[in-house]
Amino acid sequence: MRRLGDLEAEIMDRLWAWQRPTTVREIVDDINEHRPVAYTTVMTVASILYNKGWLLRAKEGRAWVYSPVRSREEYTAALMEDALGTSDDRSAALTHFVEQMGPEEVSALRKALRAAGRRTEA
Amino acid sequence: MTAALALACYAAAVGVVAPKALAGSAWPHRTPALAVAVWHGLVLSFTIALALTTYHLVTPTWHLHSGMSGLLRFCGLTLDARMPATGPIGVPAIAAPASVALIPLVRFGHEVLRARRVRARHRGVLDLVGRRSARLRATVLDHDTPAAYCLPGRRPRIVVSAGALRLLSPTQLESVLEHERAHIAGRHHLALAATETFARVFRWLPLAREARAQTALLLEMAADDRALRRHPRQALASALCTMAAGKAAHAPGGAFAVGGPGAVVRLRRMLDVRRRPHPALCGVLAAVVAGLPLLPPLLGCAPGM
Repeated sequence: MRRLGDLEAEIMDRLWAWQRPTTVREIVDDINEHRPVAYTTVMTVASILYNKGWLLRAKEGRAWVYSPVRSREEYTAALMEDALGTSDDRSAALTHFVEQMGPEEVSALRKALRAAGRRTEA
Repeated sequence: MTAALALACYAAAVGVVAPKALAGSAWPHRTPALAVAVWHGLVLSFTIALALTTYHLVTPTWHLHSGMSGLLRFCGLTLDARMPATGPIGVPAIAAPASVALIPLVRFGHEVLRARRVRARHRGVLDLVGRRSARLRATVLDHDTPAAYCLPGRRPRIVVSAGALRLLSPTQLESVLEHERAHIAGRHHLALAATETFARVFRWLPLAREARAQTALLLEMAADDRALRRHPRQALASALCTMAAGKAAHAPGGAFAVGGPGAVVRLRRMLDVRRRPHPALCGVLAAVVAGLPLLPPLLGCAPGM
């Protein structure tokens, strides 16, 4: 059973790839090349995305055309900013493998790694 | 009054002296998970001692002659009809110490919920923007800055950036992912939220500052240890070094160091030939952790105090 979130991602993927205002019909046809999906389902999910603020829509003839509010790159950059902790919001617990550090600390790390390498060779 | 004094001295020792001693010792790095438990034991013990001090200051006389039964009564273990909670002094006698204990607890709950909301928002965007990799059991973000992090909680995600995928070899990558999985499996975010809350409530307290910083570092070490169970130490250590260097190269505006000396300490520790802590040390530590919350009530209710 596919989750609603998967369909949301499929719709966004196509809109980001095509980079032009798109009707629900076009999206349905494209998804139907891989798997069957009902027109009404896609229409519902598209309006959910619109209500969540992910999509813009405009009337074109009798149908709505949808386009993304922001590009995938913009969302990705925002996520990374969030995750790399430019805010020091530790308890959101996006715990990192390694924190951001300065060049001196990085060279101290390299030195420690090299020293250990020599030890194991010796 | 002697009880209040004894408790206040105990709270001062736990709040100021103990953190300095603990932060300066070497054994916590050998057994990070137990050391985290000791830090949390100290935090709990301090809070209980403070609550009991307040209690004894508000109601100086009751405990003079109640001994063990007073302890039980205070802990709510007996529903004693003689419990003097109906008198005019009853309300502050319960309310003041209860609020000392409850404020950190309520703040903790608040913090956990707030962090969960922040993560849910992040995950919502992540699920639409990232690409899920079944092979890595992680979400890949198409971004050049090398990064690996996790969203713990009920619907956890491990996130790795395309920059990190380019930099790391397959073995390095696997060890990094295992490190992140350890954070999720160990529910490290809850331990972090606890010390974070404590540090916000008692901002001026050395114990609060040290507990927060040390818990964060020790949890990284615990996750490192778990990754090292399955992966060679050289892989994890070189991955740490590579990621740090790659991140520094992408730092906005050059250098802002928040990593501190933690990464170097971790790296040395990874490469060191593992010295297992002595079982006796572990036993003693477990006893200390269990005993810490019990000490203040015993101190306050000891007969003759």
